[in-house]
Amino acid sequence: MTPLVWLCKRETLRVSKLWTQTVLAPVVSSMLFILVFGLSLGGRIKQVGDVDYEVFIVPGLITMAMAQAAFANNASTIFQARFDRYVNDVLSAPMRSWQMTLGYTVGGVVRALAIGVSLLVLAFVVVGVPVEHPFALAAAMGLGLVLFASLGLVVGIYAETWDHTSFIQNIVILPLTFVGGVFYSVDVLPSPWEELSHFNPVFYLVNAVRYGFLGESDVSIWLSLGVIAALAVPVYAWSEWLFSTGRRLKD
Amino acid sequence: MYRDHPALALRGLTKRYADGTLALEEFDLEIPAGAFFGLLGPNGAGKTTLISAVCNLLRITEGEISVFGEPHDSLQARSWIGLAEQDINLDRFLTVRETLLYHGGYWGMREPENRAHELIDAFGLTHKRDTRAPRLSGGQRRRLLLARALMHRPRLVILDEPTAGVDFELRQELWRYIRQLHAEGTTILLTTHYLEEAEQLCDEIALIRDGHLIARDNSEGLREHFGVGRLQDAYVKAMAL
Repeated sequence: MTPLVWLCKRETLRVSKLWTQTVLAPVVSSMLFILVFGLSLGGRIKQVGDVDYEVFIVPGLITMAMAQAAFANNASTIFQARFDRYVNDVLSAPMRSWQMTLGYTVGGVVRALAIGVSLLVLAFVVVGVPVEHPFALAAAMGLGLVLFASLGLVVGIYAETWDHTSFIQNIVILPLTFVGGVFYSVDVLPSPWEELSHFNPVFYLVNAVRYGFLGESDVSIWLSLGVIAALAVPVYAWSEWLFSTGRRLKD
Repeated sequence: MYRDHPALALRGLTKRYADGTLALEEFDLEIPAGAFFGLLGPNGAGKTTLISAVCNLLRITEGEISVFGEPHDSLQARSWIGLAEQDINLDRFLTVRETLLYHGGYWGMREPENRAHELIDAFGLTHKRDTRAPRLSGGQRRRLLLARALMHRPRLVILDEPTAGVDFELRQELWRYIRQLHAEGTTILLTTHYLEEAEQLCDEIALIRDGHLIARDNSEGLREHFGVGRLQDAYVKAMAL
């Protein structure tokens, strides 16, 4: 297990050395969302269901920050390692492919958790967000982070330029997150937008996390967890396949 | 025990890249344990492809590679190889000390700290131990690259043009260390463009061109084989064939 532990340590060390970029910046931007959207719009929208608006948006914003961080971290760490070719030190090591996949995945998960915990503490202090179902929250976060961390690895391995990684982040993940019910309940959307929202995987992640925090969700928690797991498992398997075959990593 | 097998055995090694380039074709080579072996050839001859194949850094098209009798992609074989690549490929986020520690960790070393200190001292990097790789000079990076390759005490050290762009003093220093390593029983596989370097250091030299083995012998044997007085002339003749 030692090589795996060292790879996990290396990925965590990278996050800690760049903490202003990897943790502080996303925490500050998410807190700005909570303050600007929550406290300013909250004066007009008041409540969504039984929940104050500034509390309602917190789970979605935490989900958004964590998912983006897990993706961006892993896409950039593996792309940088390929670009500078120091990934060869890992690829030639006596390490199994599953250890490489897991080791790199851990970096994104650790970064996302650092952001999530920081936001949770700050959001608790500022708007008093509760945690109604901690196990459901942990399950949703765990599956969501595996999904986005693995997706980051896959994109970072296929990417040929930095633009490719940021393209997926800005053109795919960010829009899906915004229309995934972070700032509103999809119940208020007119048809067909409400129905279309159910084809957005991020919608299920946001709702599963919201259920964990607030005990409220637009869809069943089990359906949400099932959808996230159904995506996380194949994407993780895809990243593992890339390491085990060497495709895109070895010429 | 591991000396019963050749340090490196390639059988029918073929590598065709995705763009159709045939870098190695039906390449056979055996390097005995304990040898100081030179691999010479012009750019594009297939030297780096061969090394990358041995170190599991590319997917081979056909053939077999074994390291001290073990398949090259086994964990055991990987643990026996130390590679200093031609290009500087140091982790930009790690200091000198961390570079060695993490490499040792990837290779399963339980207590890499002492070995890292030993190599930092041996390669004259003591005052740079907490400096990150991008802030090192070219010579310091080259030394760190070599120290990293030796960190886990490999039985087969592969040096891909380790002295390219290195000044005379550092080159002498690096070779002193490599000679000492060889004297202690480590097998060395070296590629270089400095023919006099290969002549002085290597027990045996293989000349390769266009992915094929042209000739293999010690320096004297190669000179005799090509009927010339200097290795440089043998090399020129071999490459012109």
